[in-house]
Amino acid sequence: MAVQSPSQPSPPAFSGVKFRESLTAYLFILPAVAIIALFGLFPIGYSLYMSLYDWIVQQGDFIGFEHYQTILGDLPGTIAFAAGLSLFVVAYLVWDRAFKQLDNGKLIAGAVGALVLIAGGFVTSFGWGRMIEGTTNADFLLGLPITLYYAIFSVPVQLSFGLIIAYLLYQNIKGKEVFRMLYFLPYVTPAVAAAAVFRTIFSPRETSVANQAVGLFGLEPLRWLQDARPITEILFGVQWEGFWAGPSLALMSIVFLGWWMYTGYNAVIFLAGLGSIPRDLYEAAEIDGANQVQVFRYITLPLLSPVTFYLSVIAFIGTFKAFNTIYVMRERSALGTVDTASIVIFDTFRAGRRYGLAAAQAIILFIIILAMTQVQNKIFGEKVFYG
Amino acid sequence: MASQVSTYEGEPIDVSGKYRIQSSAGMFALYALLVIGVAVVIVPFFWMLMTSLMTLGESLNRAWIPAVPQWDNYIRAWDEANFGEYFVNSIIITVVTVFGILIMSTLAAYAFARIKFPGRELIFALLLTTLMIPESVTMIPNFLGIRGDVLGPTLLCAPGNAEFMTTIWGTFFPCDGWINTLQALSIPFMGSAFSIFLLRQFFAQIPWELWDAARIDGAGHLRFLVQIVLPNSLAPIMTVAIFAFIGAWNSFLWPLIVTTEDTWRPLAVGLYNFVTDAGSELNLMMAGSVITIVPILILYFFTQKQFTEGIVTSGLKG
Repeated sequence: MAVQSPSQPSPPAFSGVKFRESLTAYLFILPAVAIIALFGLFPIGYSLYMSLYDWIVQQGDFIGFEHYQTILGDLPGTIAFAAGLSLFVVAYLVWDRAFKQLDNGKLIAGAVGALVLIAGGFVTSFGWGRMIEGTTNADFLLGLPITLYYAIFSVPVQLSFGLIIAYLLYQNIKGKEVFRMLYFLPYVTPAVAAAAVFRTIFSPRETSVANQAVGLFGLEPLRWLQDARPITEILFGVQWEGFWAGPSLALMSIVFLGWWMYTGYNAVIFLAGLGSIPRDLYEAAEIDGANQVQVFRYITLPLLSPVTFYLSVIAFIGTFKAFNTIYVMRERSALGTVDTASIVIFDTFRAGRRYGLAAAQAIILFIIILAMTQVQNKIFGEKVFYG
Repeated sequence: MASQVSTYEGEPIDVSGKYRIQSSAGMFALYALLVIGVAVVIVPFFWMLMTSLMTLGESLNRAWIPAVPQWDNYIRAWDEANFGEYFVNSIIITVVTVFGILIMSTLAAYAFARIKFPGRELIFALLLTTLMIPESVTMIPNFLGIRGDVLGPTLLCAPGNAEFMTTIWGTFFPCDGWINTLQALSIPFMGSAFSIFLLRQFFAQIPWELWDAARIDGAGHLRFLVQIVLPNSLAPIMTVAIFAFIGAWNSFLWPLIVTTEDTWRPLAVGLYNFVTDAGSELNLMMAGSVITIVPILILYFFTQKQFTEGIVTSGLKG
């Protein structure tokens, strides 16, 4: 954020004037700051406080970290899990940075990185196993892989479709304005209304729009939002268990809505990014005889990297916070396969009335989001080319 | 370099054509792809509109276009399914919220941009951190706060205090809290760190000579803000207003928690209840969706340029 402090003539030396200036300023910021402090900052502290109590509608006994124990199951398991995840990051850093000075550095880095990666995978799944075994309320833990599926299947597709559309619109076409306006429409559509429409589009009725569409390819009608089976089973007929079975068809239907809603937004931002790539670079490439693919690979993509980074951070955090569309589209017969972390928190709060437990879940989600932003900044922030 | 940087529209100023598709076959493929994309975007809207005009029988069968448009559906959705009331609620909530955001954000942004005071950078940084906090973290304490659990019962609603609660204080801060009130649905949204951030960027660029001149004329900060800064900042204020409008209109999670009856229930929550009600008729549901979407679309079509510009500047420079 390129926030520049306004260059300001130094205020008069009279301390009385200074004092009055400051007073005016405090009065000006008071309403907004009071509201943000009350409804934005204070709740974080209060959530922490609540999470330490047995709080079911009414405040109960102080129970310390018992809620966290309930959610995470097992402290050593949690530590192992977190350590395993950090090994993934380490593996990436080794693979990316270490041994660069050596002659056969790439080979060594690759080997070491792979070892660390395998170790990370092992430790992670060991820790996860202990957590699942130890937890007395698995809803939140089970919600985490679902949240991850939701992010992984949403973000890359939204970004690449967005980039493709932006690249097409960047060509010399007529009616660019109209196209851009239409592509942007889903982004401004109220999420609940869009979800209401997609809920019926992906309904299991034989006559639903989605089933008519698969019917065009001669496929049998599917149960979409009501189908709890993992997509690997539907696509390949395999009966996998656990994380590698992938998201359910119900979750994928919600992911489709995400593609529909956010692709246009990404396209508009990418288009602006394309427009700000200096023209002389293209001219230089032309003189050097580069072809279109090379120009795209070596000029367009690197120069777009700040935009791509920004969009992926926004989108990733967005999917971890996502609530509205999932909540509206979720069906009982999806058997909880669409319940991401935010949905679990809301259920614990509203349906379960376990305010203390829900607050603890929310705190954990907040920590996860903070950690993810940090990692994204560390790993990818430095790779970004800022011109 | 400045001359080659494009406008937000991605409209590069006569870039040489070499790296753009030129052959007619290529152009055909280009348009074909773009049109397919547009079709994917438009079909749900089209389907929604058509279904909202069907009879119930048509909407449940394979029909794509109603035999006879049933405009009556809208009247039924408006009256029987109560979308009329939700619509009016949404309008009031949104207008109140937008005005609140505009007034508070302008004042705060002005102070952050143009007055030096102790703690300025710190307070501003604190405000910005709230942009990262998920709603699920804040919702539970805020719900308790609105319900009056945090302060109300313990402090003011003690039995000995009954007389005090019959005063004007009690009408604004009743013991049963702000559940089902306009305040609960608007005030928490009025402090908008995002709006303050956007406006501050702009206010900081207003020349200091103007302030010096105004000060010589005896104007204080408030008068300078109202008479000089605001008339010169209509574009960013408009952008903030549009974002605020859309945010308020689309908000769902918070209104879902703090409304238990129809009095102040906004469209998003009303539509959600209708959608998840087992006996709801599909055609009326789509009519309700249209009613929810149309105001936003109208706003979008009329303020498109502002809108995209706002998205891009907040996106790229934020």
